[in-house]
Amino acid sequence: MGDLISNLSLGFGVALSLQNLGLAFLGCLVGTLIGVLPGVGPIATIAMLLPITFGLDPTGALIMLAGIYYGAQYGGSTTAILVNIPGEATSVVTALDGHQMARQGRAGVALGIAAIGSFFAGTVATLVIAALGAPLTGLALVFGPAEYFSLMLMGLVFAVVLARGSILRAVAMILVGVLLSTVGTDLETGEERMTFGLPFLADGIDFAVLAMGIFGVAEIMRNLDHTEHRDVVHKAIGRLLPNKDDFKQSYKPVLRGTLIGATLGILPGNGAVLGPFAAYTVEKKLAKDPSRFGRGAIEGVAGPESANNAGAQTSFIPLLTLGIPPNAVMALMVGAMTIHGIIPGPQVMTKNPSLFWGMIASMWIGNLLLLIINLPLVGLWVRLLKVPYRLMFPAILMFCCIGIYSINSLPTDVMFIGFFGIVGYALIKFGFEPAPMLLGFVLGKLMEENLRRALLISRGDMMTFLDHPISAGLLAVALVILGLALLPTIRKGRDEVFVE
Amino acid sequence: MDPTVNTPTAGLQRGHSARSSFGLVRGPQNLVAGATLVLLAALALWLTRDLEQGTLGAMGPALLPRWLAYAVGLCGLALVIPAFRKDGDALERWSLRGPVFVIGGILAFAITIRPFVFGGLTTPGLGLLFAGPLAIIIGGFATPEARLRDLVILALSLTPFCMVLFGDLLNLPIPVFPQALTGLFPADWSQKAVLRATAIIMAAAALIVFLSSRRRRRTVQVDVTDHSGRI
Amino acid sequence: MKRTLFTLAAALGFVATAAQAQGTYPTRPITLVVPFTAGGTTDVVARFMADHMGRTLGQQLVVENVTGAGGTVGVTRVAKAEPDGYTILMGNLGTQAASVGLYPKLAYDPRTDFEPIMNSASTPMLVVAKKDLPVKDFKEFIAYLKANAAKMNYGSGGVGSTSHLTCLFLESLLGVKPQHVPFRGSGPALNALLGGQVDYVCDQTVAIVPTVQGKQANGLVVAVQNRLPVVPDVPTSAEQGLPQFQATGWNALFAPKGTPKDIVTKLNAAAKAALKDETTRKRLLDLGAELPDEAGQTPEALAQLVSSEIDKWVPIIKGAGVTGQQ
Repeated sequence: MGDLISNLSLGFGVALSLQNLGLAFLGCLVGTLIGVLPGVGPIATIAMLLPITFGLDPTGALIMLAGIYYGAQYGGSTTAILVNIPGEATSVVTALDGHQMARQGRAGVALGIAAIGSFFAGTVATLVIAALGAPLTGLALVFGPAEYFSLMLMGLVFAVVLARGSILRAVAMILVGVLLSTVGTDLETGEERMTFGLPFLADGIDFAVLAMGIFGVAEIMRNLDHTEHRDVVHKAIGRLLPNKDDFKQSYKPVLRGTLIGATLGILPGNGAVLGPFAAYTVEKKLAKDPSRFGRGAIEGVAGPESANNAGAQTSFIPLLTLGIPPNAVMALMVGAMTIHGIIPGPQVMTKNPSLFWGMIASMWIGNLLLLIINLPLVGLWVRLLKVPYRLMFPAILMFCCIGIYSINSLPTDVMFIGFFGIVGYALIKFGFEPAPMLLGFVLGKLMEENLRRALLISRGDMMTFLDHPISAGLLAVALVILGLALLPTIRKGRDEVFVE
Repeated sequence: MDPTVNTPTAGLQRGHSARSSFGLVRGPQNLVAGATLVLLAALALWLTRDLEQGTLGAMGPALLPRWLAYAVGLCGLALVIPAFRKDGDALERWSLRGPVFVIGGILAFAITIRPFVFGGLTTPGLGLLFAGPLAIIIGGFATPEARLRDLVILALSLTPFCMVLFGDLLNLPIPVFPQALTGLFPADWSQKAVLRATAIIMAAAALIVFLSSRRRRRTVQVDVTDHSGRI
Repeated sequence: MKRTLFTLAAALGFVATAAQAQGTYPTRPITLVVPFTAGGTTDVVARFMADHMGRTLGQQLVVENVTGAGGTVGVTRVAKAEPDGYTILMGNLGTQAASVGLYPKLAYDPRTDFEPIMNSASTPMLVVAKKDLPVKDFKEFIAYLKANAAKMNYGSGGVGSTSHLTCLFLESLLGVKPQHVPFRGSGPALNALLGGQVDYVCDQTVAIVPTVQGKQANGLVVAVQNRLPVVPDVPTSAEQGLPQFQATGWNALFAPKGTPKDIVTKLNAAAKAALKDETTRKRLLDLGAELPDEAGQTPEALAQLVSSEIDKWVPIIKGAGVTGQQ
């Protein structure tokens, strides 16, 4: 405990220097602004801003990059709430209820609760990293392919709960999502699957491309359908910040979301993506009236956003303690660290304590700064909604094109958002929901890879999933949730009358 | 998505009729949705026909996609069959204008941002300078409310903003303008100087168009706030 | 963000910077295509080089990450680019040699479609075993592997990745066939090593050195001539009685075929200058990289390297029946 305090005070000493504070602020601000642009998620943002940090000292550079990361993450949620375009997997869930809130004139409340929930989650996650970072590393190592497969399967079961309409349609969409994730070169044999021989499909479908098409572009087409039928009553923008009732409704989801997100964030191989989905599922299951979800329930924003931010932060643990990046963003951070002459690994903590603890302290400062930056910005974002839609959508369209092009510099990626836009439009017309498909897509890839890895290691023995206790436990949870979702009584509770 | 927004739409629209004209089909939306899933499953099966299925110990590339395809196909059938037995939702109308122009804008951007080869044809790489306005103006006509002048102003102001933001400040490797453009400027100007000058010229043009159209506009009743917070 | 403010000020004041007379290369920024994602080894090496070369040449080198199909998408783009010196490539062992064996439909020939500029940094390969594998050194490891090959698993960063190829090379030398478990990149593979789900991993210094230094895994051997300063305790393959086991990843600069000789010379000189620069040198050495000596810094030496590496790796790949992924 004494160690923790002295370490943290060392860290804050470093992070609170005028220069580092300035860099953290700048990082958060730039990250937020870039992250808000549709399609430009944290990976693209860090990659494009990496060179700006070249002239700085390593500590300052990393503090700024971490700021960019949180900023971009937060900016992505803003876009999801305002224009229903999730820039990355973790903000898909935020878009569900957040955007509905925006449509009801509660964009300010949604943005506000997202900022406050994120700040709380960030604070807790920082403490977790500082106090328990080293011991928690063990958790990352226990998770082998078998555990991972079961976790992903559980995630797919969550996706059933996530959907609002008929279970059959939700399951179909999840399966289609998993099927789409198998497009591309097979990880194990190197054979191309379902690529039509097209080189740009060889690496599979890019998540950003799929999400931007299915959510962003399809949403534009759908809105254009209804131009003549916009509500006659011009809804007031409403309160800009959450009030007492909003807080009362969301403090528990924030707590739960933080816990879920922080735990999943530690897992290797991008366990953090599951955080928001799990948080949403938990909130929907616990809610007295689950039918509010998907129609602008504040808990559906508070829980996932907290989980998102907590996971974003705790995913630094494997990087800082082992030097192993758990996901693509962290891999980029490794690159950034090596560019600044620091090889991440267990030695960083002992060899370079001022950098290590300075960075951890700056995480909390970064979260505070994000709150300070974003609360005033809420007003600005909400005012953006006043721009007439006929001018708004061409601008969104261009930003989507630029954002997607900037990721891989491939014009074919840009064309694909158009293609998936049509697909998404058709899905809406056929009464399918795109969110479960996106979740199936994200989890499907991880699920297949880990299934095959686990079976390679066990030489084809399916019992491996039950022999590993954690894996067996996760499968049991999945089974229970699936059972609950399929029970007819629960079915009646679902918000739509079944058509089948 | 939002099932409450289910109202039939007027305006320039074509597409399938909402009625189930055949007495047999009672849930047209289910029928079409299910049939699409079945087709998708068939496509996946056809595409993976040459791939190894493998064994559990060494799963081949085709194992999972094939099982998934069967499952998707089953879901499709489960939607199709009741469509003949129970009444279901009608198929929503499809509009043509929105998708066509939106896709047109995206394609215009994709083929002009950098040289793009299809077949024997190569498009010139015009960069953001042209790709941006093309996307905005073509895409903008997706709504019948589009006004060319407004879109031109939007294109002329947003494009230089993006050029400076992405090309200059963030140093993003995105093509900004065709190389030929440098010829129009003094030879000793650097790329960045040309970029900034172009951006300023565009922004000025946007301002001029805006000011010249404003006086006329004032008399016309413009309804700019009617969008109901939907975005 | 003083720089940004300055840039803005410069924009408003029409300050034309870096004025260059027309006709002398380079008159505009050079695009350096990196066929992998930002932050990877090749990208990091490229950015170090680009930083210094840009200063030497008086024009910025803009790093463009064009990813896809194991890097071959980006390489194809450079192969087909205008040979004017404004588009160059940071290729590596995977894209310029192994790809020949991995991709039957490769759209370029590394030997004839490029003008080599210079090899900039090599990253030696290490074999690392999980901590509780009952072996003390590489010799014991070989004996153990030969006895238990059917039960053993090794992790890699993907089919056809340098880490996979190195393990394949070892297999072919020893005549054993343990189970390959591919992961998506080195990070997850290492995680599985530390968690004990796979028994050993072959990987580049950059990725693996921290875990060896931190004693979380057992560094068995470096597949190069001399011990590495970053892990001085790990013996070389020759010391452990398997001198044929030599494997190094390398990252080198190329221009499209037909780029004028004087431009290639200019780029080569700039790259040489970067390797002479103290800061750049130190940055690269800290990665655990090996830098080419004077004789290895010529375009001819790189051409030689490419063809000898193709001769070395393609039979190993074909022998194992691997088709490409990463």
